[in-house]
Amino acid sequence: MAHGKSTLANVILNNPEYTKTKGTVEFQGENINDLKTDEIAKKGVFMSFQTPEEIPGISTMNFIKTAKNKVEGKPVKVFKFKQDVQNYMEELSMNPKLINRNLNVGFSGGEKKKNEILQMLVLNPKLAILDETDSGLDVDAVRTVSKGINMYKNEKNAVLIITHNMRILSELKVDYVHILVNGKVVKTGGAELVKEVEKEGFSKFKKEGTPNEN
Amino acid sequence: MEIKVNETPIRTSRNFLINNLKLENIELPKKLKSFENVEISELKTKKPSTKKLKYGNGKILEESIFENANSALKIETQNEDIKIKYNFDNENLELVNNIEIIGKENANIYIEYISKTNKPCFHNGLIRTVAKENCKLNIVIINKLNNKTNNFEAIENELHEKSKVNYTIIDIGGKTSVTNYYSNIIGEEANNDLKTIYLGQNNEIKDLNYIAEVRGKKSEIDIDVQGVLDGNCKKNFKGTIDFKKGCKKAKGNENEFCLLLSDKARSIALPMLLCTEEEVEGNHSTASGKVDSKTLFYIMSRGLSYKEAVKLIVKSKFNKIIERIANEEIKEEVLQEIERKLS
Amino acid sequence: MKTKVEDINRNIYDIKNKDEYEFKIEKGLNKKIVEEISKQKNDPDWMREIRLKALETYNKLELPTWGPDLSELKMDNIATYVKPKTELNSSWEDVPEDIKNTFDKLGIPEAEKKSLAGVGAQYDSEVVYHSMKKELLEQGVIYTDMETAVREYPEIVKEHFMKCVPVNDHKFVALHAAVWSGGSFVYVPKGVKLDIPLQSYFRLNSPESGQFEHTLIIVDEGASLHFIEGCSAPKYNKVNLHAGCVELYVKDNAYLRYSTIENWSKNMMNLNTKKAIVGKNAQIDWVTGSFGSKVSMLYPMSILNGENAKTEYTGITFAGKNQNLDTGFKVVHNAKNTSSLVNSKSISKDGGACTYRALVRIGENAQNSKCSVSCESLMLDDISRSDTIPVNDIRTDEVTFSHEAKIGKISDKEIFYLMSRGLSEEDAKAMIVRGFAYPISKELPVEYAVEMNNLINLELEGSIG
Repeated sequence: MAHGKSTLANVILNNPEYTKTKGTVEFQGENINDLKTDEIAKKGVFMSFQTPEEIPGISTMNFIKTAKNKVEGKPVKVFKFKQDVQNYMEELSMNPKLINRNLNVGFSGGEKKKNEILQMLVLNPKLAILDETDSGLDVDAVRTVSKGINMYKNEKNAVLIITHNMRILSELKVDYVHILVNGKVVKTGGAELVKEVEKEGFSKFKKEGTPNEN
Repeated sequence: MEIKVNETPIRTSRNFLINNLKLENIELPKKLKSFENVEISELKTKKPSTKKLKYGNGKILEESIFENANSALKIETQNEDIKIKYNFDNENLELVNNIEIIGKENANIYIEYISKTNKPCFHNGLIRTVAKENCKLNIVIINKLNNKTNNFEAIENELHEKSKVNYTIIDIGGKTSVTNYYSNIIGEEANNDLKTIYLGQNNEIKDLNYIAEVRGKKSEIDIDVQGVLDGNCKKNFKGTIDFKKGCKKAKGNENEFCLLLSDKARSIALPMLLCTEEEVEGNHSTASGKVDSKTLFYIMSRGLSYKEAVKLIVKSKFNKIIERIANEEIKEEVLQEIERKLS
Repeated sequence: MKTKVEDINRNIYDIKNKDEYEFKIEKGLNKKIVEEISKQKNDPDWMREIRLKALETYNKLELPTWGPDLSELKMDNIATYVKPKTELNSSWEDVPEDIKNTFDKLGIPEAEKKSLAGVGAQYDSEVVYHSMKKELLEQGVIYTDMETAVREYPEIVKEHFMKCVPVNDHKFVALHAAVWSGGSFVYVPKGVKLDIPLQSYFRLNSPESGQFEHTLIIVDEGASLHFIEGCSAPKYNKVNLHAGCVELYVKDNAYLRYSTIENWSKNMMNLNTKKAIVGKNAQIDWVTGSFGSKVSMLYPMSILNGENAKTEYTGITFAGKNQNLDTGFKVVHNAKNTSSLVNSKSISKDGGACTYRALVRIGENAQNSKCSVSCESLMLDDISRSDTIPVNDIRTDEVTFSHEAKIGKISDKEIFYLMSRGLSEEDAKAMIVRGFAYPISKELPVEYAVEMNNLINLELEGSIG
């Protein structure tokens, strides 16, 4: 399991719990290695968390609004903003009451994941990194999440989906597939790679990944 | 004479009646003959330290130990079980002891106080432990003194890097039983785990004053106290976890539960958390109440009497702590004593 | 307690001490000063008696042997704190700059600023106060200042004054009883339920009020009241000792909510005493925010005397640089089926010290009572201090009692999560702290909650990140 998929996401966002030993992170031609997490977010990089933090005392609506103000760099128009949020929530089949509850507090696993997708849609980043967004979800919820991703995706943005599960990919039109083994990309291909893995599993790539360090 | 023992590290309002325990009519033994009825597995002992304690049970009792101890031992551990058993009898009614344990190698240490007489006995003792680097000590103190006996115990620990001290205190005897426990957790990743059971009945007094000063980075202290009070018994539990500057990433947990079997029993708890360091995790909780009626009903529906059911519940509270006593024989004796007390 | 040794010593030193004693009395609090205060207040005889007796008690009692350091108070020179202050004509120029800035940042109007700083005359709110007064009058509610109450409602005051808080409770209560001045008196008649909160804010403008003020509130059977004391702008007082006293009587079936946002200027020694006696089926809820003062010792107390009486305490304490705030809650359960719920939070930063000091006592006759306490402390840096010192005294077995406390810092994971959405580290921390304080701010009327949030932002400004 621990092949460094989540590490990749955390390193891109410069989580202080992770230390970069070598290499640089570039985004749109710019070295963002030493930027703080919020500065990276403002550049348009979004990460959906495997286990989003529960933060008491802050309503979800208030939080998303604050975040939107920050990434846009100017105050949002409240009425339109609320309407957008409502629409997205409807599309994601979210319980409308959740928006007034404290951020992720008492949310079920599925509700938390949908809340991440909701934030992605509202904040509209250039690059969205979705870290195991499908794990622990039932079939319907995976479909809803895929729907959210399809709503978001256009020519101007990019999505990096981190998963060890092929299910979520079947609903999406993926352009590239990278297989990460022990911290290294061992294989890169198109959507056809998904089929290959579905048929034969990961083991053959693992063998490719382990022996030599080139 | 009147003495004050177990001062809390930080005072609070006098009206709260908890800053110390005042005892009247305490007679300190003057000239003591050596305490003969003691079984010791370890024979090569030296003179223990008489360095002043940081907390302890007050000047009077402490000086009495340094001047009059009729049992004084210094033990350096060498990968073995050490058993010290004090049997109080008509010839040996008064014990003032000073024990120093230098933990060099891992060891299990058992210290027992047992009344084999109905006469009032007296115990005033000091157990000082130093756990050197990487040393693991399991120390078990068992108080099975009779209910006419005054029992005072002062414990002082020093924990060095990566040492681990498991302390288990079985406090089920005595008329007045006073324990002062101080742990100085100096070393990085040192770990002190203190678990206590107390059982107080009739007009007994239990006074527990536990203080842990956490200094080492990533060090840990865990205090778990499970108690039962019956009759007019009065218990004071004072537990302090003090996070000192520099103890980054240290953890401290303190939990006390007091089961009340009588409406005359009185339970006072003062669980203190003191903190001057940011990156720490400290938790404490205390709770008290009577036996849960649902549990009681469930057990009684299976055919047990009220008394038997209560006994079962008490034992279930105590068991996880008694389980820590590795020596089967000693464990069995503790269980029997609890059984006897509750019957 | 005196020992024999001291008794013998007395004889030897009596002569030597005489001079010193007279000197002390001169500098300390004496009959003359108290009588002068009493005269100026136009006290009836019975009130003068109370003051003089309290003076005797004051001279007998000692300073507390616990809690924060009070050595800054010159107890030998106490007269300078309590003498009627004709010479105390402070001016706006004397008000410290940081307080003026805070007023500005909180958006407090000019007239109110001057009033809060104790340099202004009555301002616009007097009008509000009067119109409110009319409405209250129609319902039989008495809301007036304490001096007026002593003159116009002597029977009620006599029955209740210093009865809930005994004069010998501690030295500063005795001091208060001897020299009290100003404060609010509220009487809500049987069955009257007031919808809008009463605010003492409107009364804080007499020059001496807010130092030794006395608050006496009686909510009669079946009545209900929400009383708000103070506000979140810093109250400035040249004299740096505050020893107020609040006595609350919540009669059978009545309800009282008592909210305080205390923000004394940072030179103040705030030694305040607040108690409530709660009757059958009655309830008192305390909502307390402590932000100001240099030193605070403040422990509101609920005495649950009637069966089924209830109390809730929701409090937050925020200590910054040079502040030592020792606060908490005391509850005594004296009757069956009583219950208490305590939720306390504290934040320490920039070397500030917070102490939660508390007492829960469940008495012999309080069978079937419940008490649940939760304490959370947040450390914002490693130069601050946070202590939790709760005493739990349980004297009967039919109880459900639990106490929980936590201490720690803001979780790095939470900060990272918020930063990944574009918030700066400072904003993320401020947001988490506001969330931490939310259980308290949600209990306040909106305008106070907004001010409290502004206050938190202000306190955090520049101090983290």
